[in-house]
Amino acid sequence: MEDEAKTTSVYELVQLMSSLNDTRRAILLALAHIYPRSVSGVQLSRLIGYSGKSRSLYRGVISHLKENEMIQIDQLTPKLYAIRVNNEHPLLSVLVDLCRTNGESARKLYMKALEEE
Amino acid sequence: MEDMLLKQARALYKDRLRIALAAFIVVFSITFYLFYNPEIISFGAVPPVGWNQGWTQGFAVVASVNTIGFCLSVALIVLIFRFWSWAFLPGPALTYTLAILKGILGTKTAIRHTYGKKIKVTLENGLQFDVNCRIKEKGTDEWFVYRLVSTQLHREQLRNIALRHGFGVKNNRLVANISNNELHHRTFLLTKALMLASPSI
Repeated sequence: MEDEAKTTSVYELVQLMSSLNDTRRAILLALAHIYPRSVSGVQLSRLIGYSGKSRSLYRGVISHLKENEMIQIDQLTPKLYAIRVNNEHPLLSVLVDLCRTNGESARKLYMKALEEE
Repeated sequence: MEDMLLKQARALYKDRLRIALAAFIVVFSITFYLFYNPEIISFGAVPPVGWNQGWTQGFAVVASVNTIGFCLSVALIVLIFRFWSWAFLPGPALTYTLAILKGILGTKTAIRHTYGKKIKVTLENGLQFDVNCRIKEKGTDEWFVYRLVSTQLHREQLRNIALRHGFGVKNNRLVANISNNELHHRTFLLTKALMLASPSI
């Protein structure tokens, strides 16, 4: 029974992820892998290989993801934000779980990218 | 990758903006001529004491009925332009939007396009949602972004249903801002969410 509920969640997660565009998908995947760590806007735009300005990433993408409660943003200072995936989201918590159990090597890659500064 | 239709729509919109600007300059000059060439009608404002003759003459031109008329006409021109850019979506972009909506929702669904770049969709079970288009999102390089807003729904499970389909909840409505290449999938998910949240089931 529990297995069935989990499969349903995974199915819904696949649907949700495929409904998002490249940028949003990349953000959620990266953030889910490095959870519970949070990143700043600049770090995030570098992490997903975003070519535009991080301000335009914020206005066009991150604020919308926040509206749909997929990510959480803590404002540390007026210009510094800490962005992390919303682990209370019914589907993204499944994603975070999947990343934690299967994504060890991917997490290493993400972490390495974050440390090189 | 960007859709051909949207590329065309963007080029068309930029061209039209240029034409509108050129037309504005011409119309502005004509209006200027029309209002200041005839006799200047004063409405009796008295220039401050102590100004020399040149300033007094200038004051008579500025503080006149002609100036009021001129300002009103310029305001009207600006208003017309604002209305134009508020109300209409470039043709190819509208074709793109309607084609996608018809493709995903089928021919039986009522899709009505209204002024203000808004498209109202009524599903077979009577539930509605709006697709609002913006030509350009301020502060970003994104063109043709959409906002999906559903009708008000009253269900206890609403928030859970919304989140599971990638939507947020505002005033009991499901809402999301989406980019143009997400339109297909997310409209699909919204339709599915509305079916689940429908009170008739």
